[in-house]
Amino acid sequence: MISTPPDLKSYKTQLRRALQNEFLATTLRTFASAYRLSRANAFEGLDATHLVEEIARGKDAAIPYLQELFEQFRSRAEAAGVKVHVARTPREANEIIASIARSNDVRKIVKSKSMTAEETFLNDHLEKEGFQVTETDLGEWIIQLRGEGPSHMVMPAIHLSRKEVAELFTGVTGEVQDPDDIAGMVQVARKELRQAYVEAHMGISGANFAVAETGTLGLITNEGNARLVTTLPPVHVAMLGFEKLVPDLRSALRILQMLPRNATGQAISTYVTWITGANQCATGPDGRKAMHVVFLDNGRLTLARDPVFAEALRCIRCGACANVCPIYKLVGGHNYGHVYMGAIGLILTYFYHGRENARAMVKNCLNCQACKSVCASGIDLPRLIREVHRKILKEEGTKPVKNVILNLVLRNRRLFHFLLRRASLAQSPVASGERVMRHLPFFFDREHEFRSLPLLAGTPLRDRWNQVNPSLENPRLRVALFGGCLVDFVYPEQALALVKLFAAHDVQLEYPMEQTCCGLPAEMMGEKETARQVALQNLHSLDMSRFDHILTLCASCGSHLKESYPRLLEGEGDAEPMVRGMVEKVTDFSSFMINVLQVSPRQFQEGGAKTAYHSPCHLCRGLNVTGEPRELLTLAGLEYTPSRDEDVCCGFGGSFSVDFPMLSAEILREKLDHTEDTGADVLVTDCPGCVLQLRGGLDKRNSSIRVKHMVEIIAEQKKW
Amino acid sequence: MGQATLVQKMKEKAEAVQTRVALVRSMEEALTAAVEITLKGGGHVLAAPGLGERHEEAVPFLNELCRSRGVDLLMENLRGHMGRIHTAFTVGDYAIAETGTLVQISHDEDLRMATMLSETHVAVIPVSRIRPHALAFEPEMLRILQRPPSYLAFISGASRTADIERVLTIGVHGPSELHMLILEEEPHEEAPS
Repeated sequence: MISTPPDLKSYKTQLRRALQNEFLATTLRTFASAYRLSRANAFEGLDATHLVEEIARGKDAAIPYLQELFEQFRSRAEAAGVKVHVARTPREANEIIASIARSNDVRKIVKSKSMTAEETFLNDHLEKEGFQVTETDLGEWIIQLRGEGPSHMVMPAIHLSRKEVAELFTGVTGEVQDPDDIAGMVQVARKELRQAYVEAHMGISGANFAVAETGTLGLITNEGNARLVTTLPPVHVAMLGFEKLVPDLRSALRILQMLPRNATGQAISTYVTWITGANQCATGPDGRKAMHVVFLDNGRLTLARDPVFAEALRCIRCGACANVCPIYKLVGGHNYGHVYMGAIGLILTYFYHGRENARAMVKNCLNCQACKSVCASGIDLPRLIREVHRKILKEEGTKPVKNVILNLVLRNRRLFHFLLRRASLAQSPVASGERVMRHLPFFFDREHEFRSLPLLAGTPLRDRWNQVNPSLENPRLRVALFGGCLVDFVYPEQALALVKLFAAHDVQLEYPMEQTCCGLPAEMMGEKETARQVALQNLHSLDMSRFDHILTLCASCGSHLKESYPRLLEGEGDAEPMVRGMVEKVTDFSSFMINVLQVSPRQFQEGGAKTAYHSPCHLCRGLNVTGEPRELLTLAGLEYTPSRDEDVCCGFGGSFSVDFPMLSAEILREKLDHTEDTGADVLVTDCPGCVLQLRGGLDKRNSSIRVKHMVEIIAEQKKW
Repeated sequence: MGQATLVQKMKEKAEAVQTRVALVRSMEEALTAAVEITLKGGGHVLAAPGLGERHEEAVPFLNELCRSRGVDLLMENLRGHMGRIHTAFTVGDYAIAETGTLVQISHDEDLRMATMLSETHVAVIPVSRIRPHALAFEPEMLRILQRPPSYLAFISGASRTADIERVLTIGVHGPSELHMLILEEEPHEEAPS
């Protein structure tokens, strides 16, 4: 049985231990890079976005009718000689399968990979009942021999080295195995498992699809073990969750187009097997297979009716959300999930394995949106993770102190801004005349020392706005600046650069004073009501009729305004049309410069510095802005030098970096290594949060690379 | 898509998943190739389940060929020969060019035994049976699924795994070689659908 820490403290201890595992770090890092490449190749010539939309639409249309699809499947399958069972709970599923085994006088069982069977801990149950179960997928067999659970949905033994496998196989065969002879070790499995297939009386498989219109099961494997498991023994039991039901063959083929490409970067897996009815089997009763299909509910049918979480049932178990996750890459599936791992694991664990197992790890999300951008069925994974977090906080009733304070402070803009001003005064003892703290305040421990933190500005932007912002006579455009807390209170110079630049372009900038925090930190901490209240306040502060555009220098604020406000303020009466109007007007700096002002190279100096770029998560994935920032850098005369993994998170993630400094530090380290590899003099990004993280990290490295917000470097490059 | 383009794509995509592709002009040529592949691979047992029902006329030729080349020919009851079969010879029912996939109607248990437990699988696929992509095959596939029991196999390359340190290794459970012989002349008998 696997165990997952129920509290944050022991979870963090586990994470620290995982970070010591050098093999894991190297193997997952290599995998993450290789995956991005092979996925891109696999989708070449295909419209992946369209395919994702089609799958999402198909799943959403089927999810409310799972019960009906099940009935249709059952009638077709039973007409073809299959016995169909329903298990409401994992225990029920395990008992049904054990009783099928008993009534067929089974002793030995072979099994092909099934995440659903992992979910119910089927092997443990069958072994306790006296059956001998052999996993036949190579990875599953390896972890079964080690008594572990999978660390990835598609590559269950990815956490293990060849050396560990060689030691294990040496034990199994009694002969010393050479760790560098992987083909030889695969042959060991072939030989050992062949025997198991021949001796087994029952085969257990999962299924990737259950096609309702024909009563067909679809199974996808690369090794071919599912074919043997479903062919050699006289009894076949397939176990699957209700969400695997699809209405028709066409839907299944559409998913098949996606699944291998998104999972492993293959156009198709080696074997796709479609089984309809009880097939010929020489050793079965009457020359036919005794075939059973067990559908597991375990909360799925309730989930299917949930207005927020039904979306989670779209998952086709491709594992892509883990493949691109910067956190998974550092700690692997055993430390980033319970049975199910990666982003979808954080969500499903709560529903399938309970609050205890989800409580700590659900906080471990950067909200970098990498998972969402590759999800095969377009699940808004980061949002559902936040929703699970919120649900757990609500159920447990006792909120962490920081949530209580956050709610109290954030809902009252005057209080919030008053406290920030006071904090600016209070920080002088830790300041050393520079713009960064040289000693962290007492409530931070040493783990936070991977980056220096900036001081709060002496005078926030809002307090000097009226002196610094010129009033233009006949501006061509009126733009509201949505500052966000970091620009307002930490980096007002970014806004000052914008003021100067816009004045030169005859654009009137205004700073609506009633604006406050965008509310994203509240949402990240599971405080949706606070997020809703500040969203309303901001919406009312931005008088849409007066402005042509709403510009924000913070990608996170921008993406939160644009993406989350419509959802947060759904059903708020007057607010709804206002939100729609606002969303259309929200823009980021680079897009505004390129698409609205249409700046040209002659407005900028030539021969600018060698410049690396960090693409903020909430810009490239949140707002889908990828071309404009790079175009702007080049156009403004800078020598833009691409770096590796430019669009991978910097590890900031707002409160994430405070909760999980050990992970934030590692993600940042890799980011800065890639930056230094380019030999750039300047690192540019479009988000003050990223500036904070990157600048703080480079400062600790005593690096000479300067970190600039895009607006600052563009203002510097402009010919005045 | 013209036939030549389709065959070209089929070949290209099948080779991309390490399938060995060759063009043949007759069933006799295909059978000869299968026997040679067996011998070259050090094997001496060839299983050709279902050939008698599908291409009765080819059986005497194969019998004679195997006899003269010293290869044992198995046609049925393959459960009794598990572990002995070197080569499985089958006539594919369809193929899907986009993914280099062989489609094999496998309700017959002997056919499954042969294609799962052999070291090498040699499949003949008539050009007229190649479909450009899976969705184009869907109507025909649906008709097969609507007549149960059925066991339909999509096979794209040889059995593979990357479960040890993500190193691609061929031949973990099933055949370690897949040969696809594209038959340019349609045989007289229609494959069942």
